[in-house]
Amino acid sequence: MEYDYLIKFLALGDSGVGKTSFLYQYTDGTFNSRFISTVGIDFREKRVVYQTVNGRSQRIHLQLWDTAGQERFRSLTTAFYRDSMGFLLMFDLTNEQSFLEVRNWLDQLRTHAYCEDPDIILCGNKSDLEDRRVIGERKARELAEKYGLVYLETSAATGQNVARAIEILLDRVMRRMEMTVDKSVLPHQRILKCHGSQQEQIPIKGNCYC
Amino acid sequence: MALNPSYEAIGKGFVQQYYALFDDPTQRPNLINMYNTESSFMTFEGLQIQGAIKIMEKLTSLSFQKINRIITAIDSQPMFDGGVLINVLGRLQADEDPPHAFSQIFVLKPLGPSFFCQHDIFRLGIHDTV
Repeated sequence: MEYDYLIKFLALGDSGVGKTSFLYQYTDGTFNSRFISTVGIDFREKRVVYQTVNGRSQRIHLQLWDTAGQERFRSLTTAFYRDSMGFLLMFDLTNEQSFLEVRNWLDQLRTHAYCEDPDIILCGNKSDLEDRRVIGERKARELAEKYGLVYLETSAATGQNVARAIEILLDRVMRRMEMTVDKSVLPHQRILKCHGSQQEQIPIKGNCYC
Repeated sequence: MALNPSYEAIGKGFVQQYYALFDDPTQRPNLINMYNTESSFMTFEGLQIQGAIKIMEKLTSLSFQKINRIITAIDSQPMFDGGVLINVLGRLQADEDPPHAFSQIFVLKPLGPSFFCQHDIFRLGIHDTV
């Protein structure tokens, strides 16, 4: 099937915060595990249609990368930071340590991502477990504001804000792409219009995951 | 010191004992007895650590509970100081995560009638490109 843009997002955060369940919820359980054995990363895919500000429809092929447990060993293949166009940084509202680790994840991310201020959505996950919550919404919002992130409270269990988080991220990445005059600023720009798009074709060089 | 002819048995025995302790969260703290207070080195996913106490801080900070492990190969060599060099290739699964390949290298240094683990290098077998 044809599409206009291939967009890659990476889900980050401590193990157990619900990254896999979150992506599972969004993609209706479809996943592709063929890369786990070599790169230690799992990805899920979904097709969506994005409406640009001037009303055009763009067919988007979303790839959602999941760290598949390697984060427990503090060993994240840095190539995946570099190739991601947006990030879902997740912590568990019922686990204070996972919230404290957000700063470390941001450091990692800023070091290895394609630029110093990539688009990041901070997700306080497991909002359905209200009786076990230890991180208040105000505290999380303060952190998000301090670092210029969008903050959403999500629940992979009920689906609350799951699609919304990804839609907001996609919107920010697409806007950034349209505003960027020098399009080489975004990673893998050369493969964004892969597979027979009728519009102007950017030559494909090097590895292409699609 | 002479080469130790039992290097194969020592390598296999050590690996078996080491992972039996490592993979059981209640036993993991006992790994401290394998390392020397000063002269043990560990490189864990590129992070360099020296000394039993710091090594144990690292090992006990890992967030999984149980580990399922499959050992594919244990290759050992005798060293000229009487020690044993061991390379382990295997797969591990932390809690319910997908399994990952790993490799781990140990150098056992003779100490009286026994050994301690002088060098320990661990990496998951994952790559930057597909």
